[in-house]
Amino acid sequence: MAEWNAYYRGEDEEEEQEEGEQSGGDYKITGRDSLVFLVDASKEMFIKGEDGEPSNFDMTMQVVRSVYTSKIISSHRDLMALVFYGTEQSKNPRNSFKHVYVYHDLDEPGAKRVQEVDSLRGGKGAQLAADTMGSGETSLGDALWCCANLYSDIKLRLSHKRLMIFTCRDEPHGGDSTKDRQARTKASDLKETGVVIDLMHLKKPGGFDVSLFFCDIISPPEDESELGLQLEACDKLEDLRKRVRAKEQKKRAQARLNLCLGEGINVAVGIYSTAVSARKPPPIRLYRETNEPVRSKTRTFHTQTGSLLLPSELKKAQMYGKKQIVMEKDEVDAIKKFEDPGLFLIGFKPMEKLKLHHHIRPAVFLYPEEEEVKGSACLFSALLMKCSEKNVFAVCRCVPRRNYSPRFVALVPQREQVDEGKLQITPPGFNVIYLPYADDVRTVDAPRCPTASQMQVDKMKEIVSKLRFKYRSDAFENPVIQQHYRNLEALALDMTAPEDIEDLIMPKVDQIDYRLGPLVQDFKDLVYPVGYNPENKSAAKRKTADTGGGAEKKPKVELPEDELRAHVQNGTLGKLTVPVLKDACKQFGVRTTGTKKQELIDALIARLAS
Amino acid sequence: MTGTKSALVLCMDVGFSMSNSAPGEEPPFELAKKVIQKFVQRQVFAETKDELALILFGTDSTKNSLDQDGQYQNITVHRHLMIADFELLEEIENQIHPESQQADWLDAIVVCMDLLQTETKGKKYNRLNIVLLSDLNTEASSEHVDVIIENLKKADVTLQFFLPFPAGDDDEEGRGDADKGGLSHPGMGKGLSREQKSNLDMVKHVMLNLDEEDGLDQIYTFRNAIEQLCMFKCIERRPMAWPCQLTIGSSLSIRIVGYKSVTEEKLKKAWITVDAQTNLKEDVKRETVYCLEDDNETEVQTDDTIQGFRYGSDIVPFSKVDQDQMKYKHDGKCFAVLGFTKQNMVHRHQFMGSQVIKIFAPKDDEHAGVALSALIRALDELKMLAIVRYAYDRRSNPQVGAAFPCIKQDYECLMYIQLPFMEDLRQFPFPSLENNKKLIPSETQLSAVDSLIDSMMLVEENEDGKQKDMFKVHKIPNPAFQRHFQCLHHRAVNPGTPLPAIEEWLKAAIERPEVISERCQAPLEEMKKKFPLTEVEKKKKLKTSAQIFGKDSEEPDAKKAKGDEEEDDFNLANIAEGSVTSVGSVDPARDFRTLIKRKSLPFGDVCQQLTHRIEQLLGNKNTPYYMKSITCIQAFREQSVKLGNADLYNSYLQSLKKSISNRGLEVFWDLLVQDAISLISKDEVEESTVSKNEAHQFLLAEEKKEEATVPTAEDTGDVDDLVSIELFLFL
Repeated sequence: MAEWNAYYRGEDEEEEQEEGEQSGGDYKITGRDSLVFLVDASKEMFIKGEDGEPSNFDMTMQVVRSVYTSKIISSHRDLMALVFYGTEQSKNPRNSFKHVYVYHDLDEPGAKRVQEVDSLRGGKGAQLAADTMGSGETSLGDALWCCANLYSDIKLRLSHKRLMIFTCRDEPHGGDSTKDRQARTKASDLKETGVVIDLMHLKKPGGFDVSLFFCDIISPPEDESELGLQLEACDKLEDLRKRVRAKEQKKRAQARLNLCLGEGINVAVGIYSTAVSARKPPPIRLYRETNEPVRSKTRTFHTQTGSLLLPSELKKAQMYGKKQIVMEKDEVDAIKKFEDPGLFLIGFKPMEKLKLHHHIRPAVFLYPEEEEVKGSACLFSALLMKCSEKNVFAVCRCVPRRNYSPRFVALVPQREQVDEGKLQITPPGFNVIYLPYADDVRTVDAPRCPTASQMQVDKMKEIVSKLRFKYRSDAFENPVIQQHYRNLEALALDMTAPEDIEDLIMPKVDQIDYRLGPLVQDFKDLVYPVGYNPENKSAAKRKTADTGGGAEKKPKVELPEDELRAHVQNGTLGKLTVPVLKDACKQFGVRTTGTKKQELIDALIARLAS
Repeated sequence: MTGTKSALVLCMDVGFSMSNSAPGEEPPFELAKKVIQKFVQRQVFAETKDELALILFGTDSTKNSLDQDGQYQNITVHRHLMIADFELLEEIENQIHPESQQADWLDAIVVCMDLLQTETKGKKYNRLNIVLLSDLNTEASSEHVDVIIENLKKADVTLQFFLPFPAGDDDEEGRGDADKGGLSHPGMGKGLSREQKSNLDMVKHVMLNLDEEDGLDQIYTFRNAIEQLCMFKCIERRPMAWPCQLTIGSSLSIRIVGYKSVTEEKLKKAWITVDAQTNLKEDVKRETVYCLEDDNETEVQTDDTIQGFRYGSDIVPFSKVDQDQMKYKHDGKCFAVLGFTKQNMVHRHQFMGSQVIKIFAPKDDEHAGVALSALIRALDELKMLAIVRYAYDRRSNPQVGAAFPCIKQDYECLMYIQLPFMEDLRQFPFPSLENNKKLIPSETQLSAVDSLIDSMMLVEENEDGKQKDMFKVHKIPNPAFQRHFQCLHHRAVNPGTPLPAIEEWLKAAIERPEVISERCQAPLEEMKKKFPLTEVEKKKKLKTSAQIFGKDSEEPDAKKAKGDEEEDDFNLANIAEGSVTSVGSVDPARDFRTLIKRKSLPFGDVCQQLTHRIEQLLGNKNTPYYMKSITCIQAFREQSVKLGNADLYNSYLQSLKKSISNRGLEVFWDLLVQDAISLISKDEVEESTVSKNEAHQFLLAEEKKEEATVPTAEDTGDVDDLVSIELFLFL
C-alpha cells in the first residue's frame, strides 16, 4: 500500500474544492478543466499591421497572458498549455514531432509562466521567438497529435477539454492534400476523446476563408442553428480577448431542477451563476521550515474520557430563555426540509410589481435542460416568449438543494441579444431574482425632510448632466483583489515592489471638479446658508464619538457577584453591556471564544447557573 | 431615554363560563390560551427585553396583594413582571386549566394596575400595557369605572381587549352578516348574554375614554389574534444608522445617513454541539491539528506554521504582517459619486451583494435634506442614477454600486445597491432558443401558454380600479423561521416526543392561492396536451471506487486487488517482521488484520482503533483517502465475518450512514454503494440481526432518497460485486 500513497502524493489535494460551496454547484466529482493554446508561429503571424498595430502573434500572446492571469485568479486548478506549430525548432515530450514546440506543458499556470509569456510580447518577444523557435514547415496534423499526447499524459481526471487554434493562415499546408487529410484525421481523433476544437482566426490580407480547410477541423457548434464559428476574423485585441473569454469558461449548472408548472408538467432547467462575488482566496497554512502546505485535521472528542466521538454520539442544542433545547442532528436537518428540490410555479405578475429594492442576493440564470426532459426547451422557449411579450414575470417557490427551506423567486424573462459581430450579449433565459420575506424587510423610520425647489433641482440636473457616462458592468476591477494578486506576483517573481494598480472605483476628483466648474458653488449657494459646512458638523461629531467610544478609557465596571447572580436568576443579563459582560467573564474565569453578546451571556449562565 | 422595553400584564379569564362552547367549537378558554402561548413564544424567541406578568381571574383560589376584606377575590397573580421564558411557556401549557369561579374583570384590571405600579417602580419603560382576555360573561360592578379610567390615564397605561366575539356590528367581521349577529364566532352560543352585552358596553366606554378615535381598534377577537400572531415577524431589527457624506468631486458634499432596509435575515443563534449522553457542550471538544502530507502524517505545532497563498501553481509564503502592510488600503467610510448614468444601463439581474441601503439626510439637518432632495429629484426627472464608491468603514472592502432615486408619498431617499466588479462576472454563452427550428413553439402552443398566464395572474384589478396583489412575498414570514421556532417550542415543552408536522396555515401560506389553482386547471390540462415532455432515461453511471480512483492508471488498482487476493497468505511474513502494535495511518487495513490475527488486543479495541483511523481518513474528503477508508471498511467487514462478530461492524456502518449528509460524504457513500459494501447479514454471521434483504436495502435506501427523481434501476453490478466479495470471504 505504500506505493499507492507515493503514487498519488502531490496531486490529491482538494480534488473537490470549495468552488461548489461558493457557487452552490452540485457536481460531485468533477475533474479539472483544461485549455490548450495551439498557436501558429509561421512568419505570417509576425507581420506587423499598418500604423504600428501589433502583429497577430503579439496579439495572441497578450490574450494568452490575460487568460493565464485571470485563470490564476478565478480557477487556478484549470490546466493550460501553450504549443506552437510551424516552428523551425522542435520541443515536445518524446521529440517525436518536428516543427512543434511545446512551450508550456499542460499544467496549472503560475507566476513563471506568466513571465515567460510576457517575454514573447512586443518586438523583443518576436526576436526571442525567432531565436528560440524560428519559423519552419507546418504540419497541423503533427501538432494536433502532439496535443493529443499532452492530454493522454495527464494523470488527472479532466472534465472539460478545449483546444484553441490561433492562426492567420487558412491553408496551413499550402494545398498539400496528404497533410490536410492527416490533420483532419487527427482532429477527429481528438474530438472523439472529447476535446472541443475552436478556431481563433486572425486577420489575413484578402480575408480568412474558413471553408477552405478549417471547417473540417473545428468542433461542430453546440447549437445547430448557429454556425458556431465567427466568420469574421479578429483584427482587434479587444475582440479576440472577448472571443477567447466567452469560450474559455466552461459553463456549469450549479443545480438541475424541475420547474413544475402544475401536476405532471415538469420542465427540466439548469441554474447558472453568472455573477459571483470574487473573493480573495483563503490562505494556506505552510510548515515554517519547508514551506510545504500542511493539512488540517479536525476531530471531536470527549473532554472527560478523551475518546473520539462519532457523529452518532453528538447532538445539537440551542439556548432560549434559560433553557437548553436538544435535538438530534438529523432532526436539525429535517426541520429545514419542506419539500424536495425544485421550482414550483405560483403564478404571474406584471413587471412593474417587481420592486427594485426587493434584493437580497445576486440573481442566477435559468436555461432549459433538454437532455434531462425532452420537450423542455420548447416549453421553456414558449414561456419565455409569452412572458416577455405580456411583460410579466413568474413567481415561483424555489428549493435549490436538499434540506434547503423554500424561498420565493421572480423569473424575469430575458430575450437573446447579439452585437454586430454576432457575439451574444445577453443569452436567452430567465433571470432568477430572489425575493425577500417579511423578516428580511426592515422598518426604517424615514426622517421628515423638506423637499427641494424646482430651481434647486434644475441646478442639480446641470451637475448630473455634466457627469454623465456610459456604465458598463465590466468596467470596474476590484482593487482589493487586484492588489492582492499584484502582491503575490511580486513575491512569487522576486520583484522589488508590486506593480501599481489603478483604483478604478476612486472618483476622478480633478476631472469632476474641472467639468463642474462654477456649478458646485452655484448649487451650494442655492441650498446651503452662509457659513454652513457639511464637513465640519460631522467632523465634530465624529470626534466626540471617538473619545466616547474608546472602551479602554472607560473605568472598569466590576459587577458584584451577587448582583450578577441575580441577573442570571432573573434572565436579565441581557441588560448589561458587552464590556461589562466581558469583564464578568474574566472575573469568573469563564473562557469564551465568541465576542457576541449572546455567547457571553450563555457562557456566564453556564458557569453561574450550576 | 425613556427605556427601550415595555411592561405588559396578560390578564386571562379562566372562570367557568370560559369553558362553555357550542358543540364542535373550541371553548373560549382554549382560544385565549392559544393567544397567550403564541404571544409568549414570540417574546421568548425574539429574546426581547420586554417584561411580562400573568394574572388569572376566575381562579378557585386568591393570591394578590389587594386581597383584603373579601375584596378582589378569585384573582391570582400567577407570575410577576419578568422576561418571558420557557418556564412560563411550560406553565401555560401544563398549569393553566379552566377553573370554576367567576371574578369581576374590572377588579382584575385594578390588580393589574397595582402590579404594574409596584413592580415598575424605579425602572424605565417605554410602554405599560394591560391585555385582558375574557368572554365578559361575569357580573361587574360599574361603580368605580370612571376612577379606573382616570388612573389608567394618569399612569399612562394602555389597554387591549381580546374577546371571543367582535366588539361591534360595524366590525369588519360583523359586516354583511349583521342579521346573523356574528354567530360565526365561537363562544357566542346563541348570541350574547345579558352580562356580555352590558360588559361589552362598559369595555367600549373604557376604550373610548382612553382614546376617542382609535380606542375600539384595540379590541380584538381571539381568532383574529391567533392568525396575526402566527404570522409574526420572528426577527425584528432596528437598523443601525450609518452617518456619512455623499461627495461629488472635492467640494460638494451632502451629509447623509444610511440604513440597511432589505437584507436576508438569518437566525440569531447557531446550533451548538453537545454530548449525546450528557447534553453538555463542555463534554465535547473540537480540536484542529496540522500535519504534514507525509506517510506518518507528522503533526506540526500551530506556531510552526505560517500562512501562504496560491498564485496559480505556486504557493507564496505571505505572512499576516506583510499582508497587512501590502494590502489595499483606503480612507475609510465613503459614499463618493463616480458619475451618473441612465437607469436602463444598470440591469436588475446584475445587482450584487445582499442588501439594499436607504440613504436619507440626517434628521436635524434641513439643509442637507434640501440638497439631497435636489439630487434625488434631479435623478428621478432625468431617469438617471449615481454610480458611487461605497465603503462602510476602513476595515471593509470598498464597493461600486448604484444609488437609485426613490420618491414615496411621505419620504424620499436614495437606494444603494452593490454592482459587480469585472472579476465577478461570468459571461456564459447559451445556444439560441429562437433560431433552432426544432425548438420553436407553434402558434397553438403559444396560445396555450398565453391562456395559462392569463389564468394565473396574481395581480387583479378590483371593481374600483385598485390593484390587488394576492401573493405578496414580502408579507410572508420566512417559513424556515416559523418551522424552526415551532419545533424548538415543541421540544422545549414536550421533550421526548417526535417533532410535529408543519403547521397547516404555514403550508397554506406558501402554496399557490386556491383561486389560482382552480382557475388554471383547464389551461394546465391544455398545456399537458400541447407540450409533450418525456424524461430522458439515463443510464446511471456506474462509478466503482476503482474507476474513480484510477481511470487512467490501472496499476495501483491492480495492486490493490492483488493485495486483497493474497490476503490469506500475506500474514506470516508480515507478522514476523512487523512490529505492529496499533492501527497506524500508513496501512491501517493491514495493521488491523495483523492485530486481529495476533489476538493480543481485544477485538473491540482493535476495531475502535480502526474506526478512529477511518474517521481521520474521511476527514480529508478526497478520493485517495476515501479509497483507503474503503479498504479499511472491507477489512473490518471481512474480519468481523471471520470472527462471527457482526455487531461492531454493523453499528459502525449504520452510524456512518447517518452522518453521510451531515459531513458531505455523499461521494464516499457512492463508492461504498458501488462496491456493495453493506451490512453483515444473517447469512454470513448467525448472530447478525440484519437479513440479507435488509443488508441489500441498506445501500439502496440512501440512493433513492438522494435521487428521488431518477428511477433507480437495480444495479446488476451491485449483486455481482456482492457475490464476489462473499466468495472471497469464504475462501
